[in-house]
Amino acid sequence: MSAAPDRQLGGVSDDTAALLSVRRLVVRYSDDVATRPGPGRRGARGVTAVRSVNLDVEPGRIHALVGESGSGKTSLARAILRLLPVESGQLLFRGQDLLRMNAGQLRRARRHIQAVFQDPQASLSPRRSVLQTLREPLDHFRLGPAAGRAERAMAALEAVGLDTELRYRYPHELSGGQRQRVALARALVSEPELIVADEPVSSLDASAQARIIDLIRELRETRGLAFLFVSHDLSVVQRLADSVSVMYLGELVETAPAAELFARPAHPYTRALLASVPVPDPGHPPPVALIGEPSSALTPPTGCVFHMRCPERIEPCATRAPGETCPRGAGTHHRVKCHLWNN
Amino acid sequence: MSAAARVPDEAGTGAPLLSVRDLALHIPVPPHVLRAVDGVSFDLRRGETLGLVGESGSGKTLTALMLMRLLEPPLDALPRGQVVLDGIDLMTLDEARMSALRGRTVSMVFQEPLTALDPVFRAGQQLASVLRRHLRCGRTEARAASLDMLRRVGIADPERVLDSYPHELSGGMRQRVIIATAMACRPRVLIADEPTTALDVTTQAQVLAQLTALTRESGTAILLITHDLGLVAQYSDRALVMRRGRIVEDTLVGELFRKPGHPYTAELLATAVGLARPPAGRDAAGPTP
Repeated sequence: MSAAPDRQLGGVSDDTAALLSVRRLVVRYSDDVATRPGPGRRGARGVTAVRSVNLDVEPGRIHALVGESGSGKTSLARAILRLLPVESGQLLFRGQDLLRMNAGQLRRARRHIQAVFQDPQASLSPRRSVLQTLREPLDHFRLGPAAGRAERAMAALEAVGLDTELRYRYPHELSGGQRQRVALARALVSEPELIVADEPVSSLDASAQARIIDLIRELRETRGLAFLFVSHDLSVVQRLADSVSVMYLGELVETAPAAELFARPAHPYTRALLASVPVPDPGHPPPVALIGEPSSALTPPTGCVFHMRCPERIEPCATRAPGETCPRGAGTHHRVKCHLWNN
Repeated sequence: MSAAARVPDEAGTGAPLLSVRDLALHIPVPPHVLRAVDGVSFDLRRGETLGLVGESGSGKTLTALMLMRLLEPPLDALPRGQVVLDGIDLMTLDEARMSALRGRTVSMVFQEPLTALDPVFRAGQQLASVLRRHLRCGRTEARAASLDMLRRVGIADPERVLDSYPHELSGGMRQRVIIATAMACRPRVLIADEPTTALDVTTQAQVLAQLTALTRESGTAILLITHDLGLVAQYSDRALVMRRGRIVEDTLVGELFRKPGHPYTAELLATAVGLARPPAGRDAAGPTP
């Protein structure tokens, strides 16, 4: 409890138990598209989507990454999956830096880090049956004897609660919820330790959403799977996550155990985000609107990334970027980047 | 906009503003008939906000499109039933007269603002064309009125937005332009079909605050179509629950959440994804000086 706040290392814990440790990760887009002259873009050179982010995912835990569109959460997730080039920083998976691996090492590591994306219609090949889709990771990683792979694929299908009768179906013959289960089964089949899931329930109906959420929770319990769960939906995150990081304009402004974040949000942006959710209870006070629009990542503000919209702005906010501290009264697992807590 | 803040019957007349009776859309899919909308009846009162909830495929959007008479051929020949707006039966109205009502007396806001705006016209041209058509005003007048409308939906730099193409605007900005366009003629009825589903939650709170202020000022009644029970709880006076083309519940919002009358409503409430606990107030979490 008395540990001094560490300004270098962030995330949920500083110990080495983390399965995935992201350290000072920077993702920059510097291609023509981002820098093409346009309104308000003159002179801009590239855009920093992820600014020196520190984050830990512990084994068997669900860590949620929340933020609004443009906050950089998908860039961060894709960088962790090595689907995007990284400018600088470290991506330590079980202590090994994914950014310094050669092709063979990375290929072996990938078996343990799988992905589920938002739109299963786009992430499943329309020309492959469910069985073909689920066999592919096993063939690719050469897992087990070839003869047993169909059986392993079917076991994954059962693990996500789908009837094995569906194995000869094609994605267009499945419902949205079933497709997302197939995508999850594909991620499971190589028996990974971490699944990076980018908005996996956003395209689904409430009831299909609830079933996928239950399934993810069950997979964590029964298989000890860890998830980095990217979502803009705070109510989904509240029901699912063990810990949460809140992202704004490329920075993690707050990280905390989920129950604590929802009960005692420390960063003014986190508070504004929670206050803007309409609660399904007519007796609850109505949502409170935040003023202004997020700044463009092309022309980020000086000082704190949130100061221009912050209702609690104080003197240093516009000029000096806040360091990371623990809010008073909170445990060391609760980190916030805000001058209100820096003194 | 709490139930108490609304005056459901401003005109003091007992007759509902919009009265829908036995509205049906039965689509022949040989050898079957798909009853997409199957005998829908409800009333919308002056100035009230009526939530219409249901899962995708329940017939919410088709109902809205029938009210607006916006179904495309060959579906446009299929609707049956009565839709009476202020004494006029919209179902039997000829297209010219219906077209004069659309955007003026009854307007619609769609879910996806990018498809609702024409990509080859600037936002301002689309907003001004509604004003010029319905209010028969000139170019200069229409521009001034457009700028005024954009300011009222919370756009700080209306000149820039007016002269932008839809792709140059953020999702929140686009939906504000759509709302400004829909509300420009102060319609009696606004049909809002998932108006904020494509938006971030902070933008949603902003857009709905502005929409609420505008409709209250003009006394516009809203049919708010949504899958989000949070929006129904926070922004509606009454609610309709729709399932498989039918209205299974029609009640005051307070009642809906307190004692749902239909098993399906109870099921819907049980799966409702909402923040389980009210977020802590500022005092609870703020730093102590």
